[in-house]
Amino acid sequence: MKQELMMKRHNNNIEEQVAKAMMLLDEIKPLEVDHHFRVRLMQRIEYEFGQRSGYAQAGLRNRFDFRLAFMALLIMVNLGSALLSVQHNNLGKTPGISEMIDNLNDDYPSQEFAYYDQTSAYPAETMTAESKTP
Amino acid sequence: MTSKEESFRALVAGHQEMVINTCYRFVFNREDAEDLAQDVFIEVFRSLEQFREEAKLSTWIYRIAVTKSLDHLRRQKRKKRFSSLKRIIGIDDPIAEIADSNGDNPAEALVGSEQAVILQYALNTLPDSQKTAFLLSKQEGFSNQEIADILKTSVSAVESLVHRAKKNLHDKLYAYYAMQ
Repeated sequence: MKQELMMKRHNNNIEEQVAKAMMLLDEIKPLEVDHHFRVRLMQRIEYEFGQRSGYAQAGLRNRFDFRLAFMALLIMVNLGSALLSVQHNNLGKTPGISEMIDNLNDDYPSQEFAYYDQTSAYPAETMTAESKTP
Repeated sequence: MTSKEESFRALVAGHQEMVINTCYRFVFNREDAEDLAQDVFIEVFRSLEQFREEAKLSTWIYRIAVTKSLDHLRRQKRKKRFSSLKRIIGIDDPIAEIADSNGDNPAEALVGSEQAVILQYALNTLPDSQKTAFLLSKQEGFSNQEIADILKTSVSAVESLVHRAKKNLHDKLYAYYAMQ
């Protein structure tokens, strides 16, 4: 009987402690907001997002630089290829010109132009004929 | 000042108290609660444009506050586990020592009693949904409907969660005090 009573008292004591602990949550008083809270928050936002927009601007600049470099590279490639083709054409033309010069000085050695070879002696004959006529 | 900043300032002014106190319920410490509230508002600022008006703005903000607080508690738990592991293998953890020497215990900062430490320990053993529903129900200003919206569940589910949380908490505390 005495033991039961003691057990009951012990249990009641535990329940009391549990209730006290649980009560703590009801006793928590709401915090008052520190007036620096918003100031610190806005500073942090300015720092974090300002820096981020700075990064974004730097990124934009980098992208712009990249575009500029790419454009310059394209122009250089275009100019280079144009120069190469001009040079190539020039190289092709040089023998043409020399050939033309050669052709100008040519003695028409081929068979097709043999006529001219034959006629080359003709004026002399005509000259003689003319000289003979009068 | 841009209109976005201006409206954000108004939003902070309107919700800061509730956000800080929501975080405080979870972490039992003013400094941590304020830091978490800052993180909450930064997250709000970052994703305000993505906010779809499927829920109330305040519900959305409090949901972020709850998520951040639960994340913080998880991190704390991991840190504690790691420092106790360090202690077991014989490496001193200076961070833990600093925290102990400053008396930077959340519960002690709250009421300065052993009871608060035990209560917080018991709370942290509850499942997240029970803990959230129970702690929000203890905070002034949250109706069961609002808690249900934050947890994306029904009012009856919230009532059930709160009931189970109370019972679990009681049992855990009872077991602790019975062992003493």
